[in-house]
Amino acid sequence: MQNLDVISVNLWQILISLINLALLFFILKKFLFKPVKDVLAKRQREIETQYQAAQASQAEADESRAAWEEKLATADAEADAILQNAAESAKARGEKLVNEAQLRADGIVRAAQAEAELERKKAADGIKREIVEVSEALTEKMLKREINSEDHRALIDSFIEEMGEGND
Amino acid sequence: MKKESREYAAKDILYVCMMVLPILAGIILRVLTKPLSEGINVTGAQIYFTVPMPIQPLIITEAQINSWLVMIVILGACLFLTSELKTRNVGVRQHIAEWLVEKTEALVLDGMGEYFMGFSPFIAAILGLSALSSLLSLFGLFPPTSDINVVAGWAILVFALITYYKFKCGPLQYVKSFCDPPLLAPLNIISEVATPISMAFRHYGNVLSGTVISVLVAAGLQGLSSLILGWLPGFLGEFPLLQIGLPAILSIYFDIFSGCLQAYIFAMLTMLYVAGGFPMDLYFERKAKKLKNNITLEEK
Repeated sequence: MQNLDVISVNLWQILISLINLALLFFILKKFLFKPVKDVLAKRQREIETQYQAAQASQAEADESRAAWEEKLATADAEADAILQNAAESAKARGEKLVNEAQLRADGIVRAAQAEAELERKKAADGIKREIVEVSEALTEKMLKREINSEDHRALIDSFIEEMGEGND
Repeated sequence: MKKESREYAAKDILYVCMMVLPILAGIILRVLTKPLSEGINVTGAQIYFTVPMPIQPLIITEAQINSWLVMIVILGACLFLTSELKTRNVGVRQHIAEWLVEKTEALVLDGMGEYFMGFSPFIAAILGLSALSSLLSLFGLFPPTSDINVVAGWAILVFALITYYKFKCGPLQYVKSFCDPPLLAPLNIISEVATPISMAFRHYGNVLSGTVISVLVAAGLQGLSSLILGWLPGFLGEFPLLQIGLPAILSIYFDIFSGCLQAYIFAMLTMLYVAGGFPMDLYFERKAKKLKNNITLEEK
């Protein structure tokens, strides 16, 4: 078999080699660069979506935590308010009870006083009536008898006796 | 599940075959067709067959066949590396694929800028094709990069790209770019034409010189060892004492280091020339103006 010379220019060989390089360019582009770049882009997209999801869930967690904290704070305040209300109402009720009791006691005292007054009045009336009765009886006796000093004295004595008896 | 994994296994075997078999086939072809050479001879690629064509006959040589083998290997590697792409629990293959893509893109971004990011597969193609072609010599195959026609084809493609980007601002701007100092226009034109030629010859010359030096050193060492051991009788007299190991050290430089370095240089120069020849500021200025004009026209 023949060999080429060390330097021999052949147009067709140059053309073949040119086409070879162009062809290899397309081969590499289609079979190496395109799939690899596709997968890199896909990975990038995946990472970004995951990152976004992570950020979203983080924000959500923060939000709910803030809401809980707020709720806790308001719950404390509410509890305080409830306690205060209870204390106030208890105090008011106690005062009311005391006042009522006072009023009722006052009423009882007044009623007792009024009764006592009435009793006293009744007693006074009784005495008066008795005095009147006695004086009536006395007058009757005096009118029936002749009056003398002895009689008088005796009369008075009997009167007083009667009175004493009546008093006793 | 099982069926799927079996399918994967079958695919993987196919891809690995695509990566390994071409090199084996190349070696077998070489062994079958190449007569054992006696002594020193540095020749070009071996001619397999010739097709009559206008202007020049189309000659298919080792260089073309080996380029195609390299392309099949690269295609197999691409399919193998990207066979199971996932977004999570990434395997070793995908790591390698991602590493390759990211490194190439970083290189292109560094060397050319944001606008030329579409060039990254092209740069990867240059790096892969050039480096693997040069490394074929490790298997005893003819490296296609030591054939001027192969590298010239690449350089002409690069030149076409350079010219395309220089033409982006119109032919007037293209002509103007040569008259930077108007007196030096002829020199500028020569240097423009010299760009692809220098790129092609630099790459080709480096790889070929490596081969030539390797052959010369091997021949020289053969002479030296026969000088040292020649007085011994029979088989011992022909024992290649100095040829053990020493050429391997040279091979590390000329086949591995130089091959990869030339691939890198070719890719860097491509990026430099394409990005450097493109008047980006002017282009964007004009584009913005055009857009503005269009908007005002629409408003009217």
